Amino acid sequence: MKKKMEQSDQPLSAGGMINPKKKKSKVSGSSINGWLFASPWIIGLLLFYAFPLFSSIYFSFTTYSILSPGEFIGLDNYKQLMSDGLFWKSIYNTIYFAVFFVPLSIIIGVALAMMLNMRVKGMAVYRTIFFLPTLVPHVALAVLWMWLLNPGFGLVNGVLDAIGITGPNWLGSVTWSKPSLILMSLWAIGQPVIIYLAGLGDIPQELYEAADVDGASWLQKTFKVTIPLLTPVIFFNLVMGAIGAFQQFTLPYTMTQGQGTPDNSMTFYVMYLYDNAFKYFQMGYASAMAWILFIVIMLLTAVIFISSKRWVHYQGK
Amino acid sequence: MSNSIFRKLMFSFCLVIVIALVACSSNEDGDGSTSEGDTVEFWHSMTDTSGDAVEKVIEKFEEENPDINIEATYVANQGEGQNEKLLTAIAGGNPPDVAYFDRFEVAAWAAQGSLEPLTEMAEEAGISQDNYYDFAWEEASYEEELYAVPTTTDSRLLFYNKDHFEEVGLDPESPPTTIDELEEAAEKLTIKEGNRFERIGFIPWFGQGWFYGWGWSFGGDFYDPDTGEVTADHPKNVEALEWMTEFGQEYGVEDIAGFTDSQGTGAMDPFVSGQISMKIDGNFGVAALEKFDPDLNYGVTPIPTPTGDNFTTWSGGWSVVMPKGANNQEGAWEFMKFFGSEEGQKIFSETSRDFSVIESVNESLGYTEDPIFAEFINILPESNSRPVMTEGSLYWNALADAVEASTRGNGTPKENLEKVTQQVSDALEE
Repeated sequence: MKKKMEQSDQPLSAGGMINPKKKKSKVSGSSINGWLFASPWIIGLLLFYAFPLFSSIYFSFTTYSILSPGEFIGLDNYKQLMSDGLFWKSIYNTIYFAVFFVPLSIIIGVALAMMLNMRVKGMAVYRTIFFLPTLVPHVALAVLWMWLLNPGFGLVNGVLDAIGITGPNWLGSVTWSKPSLILMSLWAIGQPVIIYLAGLGDIPQELYEAADVDGASWLQKTFKVTIPLLTPVIFFNLVMGAIGAFQQFTLPYTMTQGQGTPDNSMTFYVMYLYDNAFKYFQMGYASAMAWILFIVIMLLTAVIFISSKRWVHYQGK
Repeated sequence: MSNSIFRKLMFSFCLVIVIALVACSSNEDGDGSTSEGDTVEFWHSMTDTSGDAVEKVIEKFEEENPDINIEATYVANQGEGQNEKLLTAIAGGNPPDVAYFDRFEVAAWAAQGSLEPLTEMAEEAGISQDNYYDFAWEEASYEEELYAVPTTTDSRLLFYNKDHFEEVGLDPESPPTTIDELEEAAEKLTIKEGNRFERIGFIPWFGQGWFYGWGWSFGGDFYDPDTGEVTADHPKNVEALEWMTEFGQEYGVEDIAGFTDSQGTGAMDPFVSGQISMKIDGNFGVAALEKFDPDLNYGVTPIPTPTGDNFTTWSGGWSVVMPKGANNQEGAWEFMKFFGSEEGQKIFSETSRDFSVIESVNESLGYTEDPIFAEFINILPESNSRPVMTEGSLYWNALADAVEASTRGNGTPKENLEKVTQQVSDALEE
């Protein structure tokens, strides 16, 4: 097998290197093969991704219901959305979640990564422990936290009781439902922590040594060396975190059986979109919502990108 | 050399694609007409006692129709506004032949052209409105066409724990009939410590205490089928919601939520564990009580009304439908016909303890003689069914939202119900 591969490799590379005249025909021949090999992916992308994506632009101007093609109604869906109370409520909920969750996930993520970067015996074990929650499926995570936060016999209120605090009815209260959701989302923070750890490992040791020589304190080293050089990674996690936060769906949907209770305080944008698309036969309306979400996320990402020039420091620049 | 390997690879790659395509296509048109005989694909969402019941129905059907094979598949969350899987299956042109379907959604789905009309087949088989309760038949029809064969129905009553009544000095044989008496009893029965309920007398929206029931009990109405007018903000409905809101305020709506969130279902149902003394539930709740606490000393009585008379309730129920584009329509119809027939109904109702949509079946199963079940049966003639309209799911969810918002002090009951009227009317106009 190995021998064969070597043999087959040789003429190819030899053809490419030594025979520049023949190169053209060879390349186009192999590029056809290349396209063919990539075709399952390309066809899949075009058929199941690009096509639905672009047709949803058209559908957002119609009363399409999945089952019937509907009529063209111009901008009516968009106009109707502007006067839809639940639409605005879902935007408020989503922004509330994003505004608190994204910065908190960065602060806690970086702090956790720095702790997990210390040279302590058995660090691999600690790192595994903090990564484990990320492996829990979202639905299981939702069920788990519903029990933990249960007002009657949940562990959280039990502990609070023990130290003399009467815990709130976490998921049953309009005030506390979103903070509870942020809390449980922060629990599964392993993914960004891994990326921060990689970023930390990338910071050259000599910078710390130089800082030590200059007599810098731990705080100074953190804020003058570590954080600035971690900004490219923070930037990445900020963009991904913001996109993820705006698409919040699985956790609240599972916890409230799709109802967004109490009093729609857990109805997030994508949940309402899903209800319209698959429960109320309003795929056109839902498509319009999807495009609004797309534009919002695009703008937000653009803003983050433009601002990144001011605060992201790449090494070697 | 390299070329030949490429060719071999390409060849095998193409072969795989071709095989995959062939396999797919044969799968598509192979259903129903294969040599193995007739296969009817059936999707349902039944577990537990009704799961056993449907199995018995299928068994009997296959026994009588040896050439038809029913392939039943459990689909979680089918019905009650959650039919995503069925929806996409129909849109994708690969639906099951028969689906178990919540009847109040038949109109909406029929209006979308997603169900096969059954009128002709029903006429041929001599199935007509006379066979079934009127409301069940109406829910199964849309614009003069039949789209579903009704299979079950239910009604809702007030369950009350007789032992608790005696304990606090209430007469267990004369349960509350008016709203005032209900409040009084609830207050006596409630034991609250701090913000935690040891026991709560009653929660209007617990169990089956949906707003439709309260609206009708207060004398309100929700829809005029002749004019197509939505009347969620009917003055009597507003009264009902105002009462629910006051009730919530009195007991602390978040404390109630804390209580209900801590409860489970089945053996953990608070009525079984004695943590709630009165609740609204359907006859399907009786099966669970029989199973988890057969010795529970309880009674059922019509849902109290402000005046203590004109008792009413509402009934829903299930049906079987034939999704648009079903492959094996003949086999499907045979099965649907059997499920809706007296014979099929008897088998199903006997095990599931769901009421049949055929009066004679309920009589023959002795429901009318059972002290508990008789109450449920007796109220059926006064029962309402949810509006037969294309926006049934939206109306249902909007009402649930209005109750949540009002009890949580987010807008007055009147405002919230006006919003519902507006929302549903707008959706109907489209």
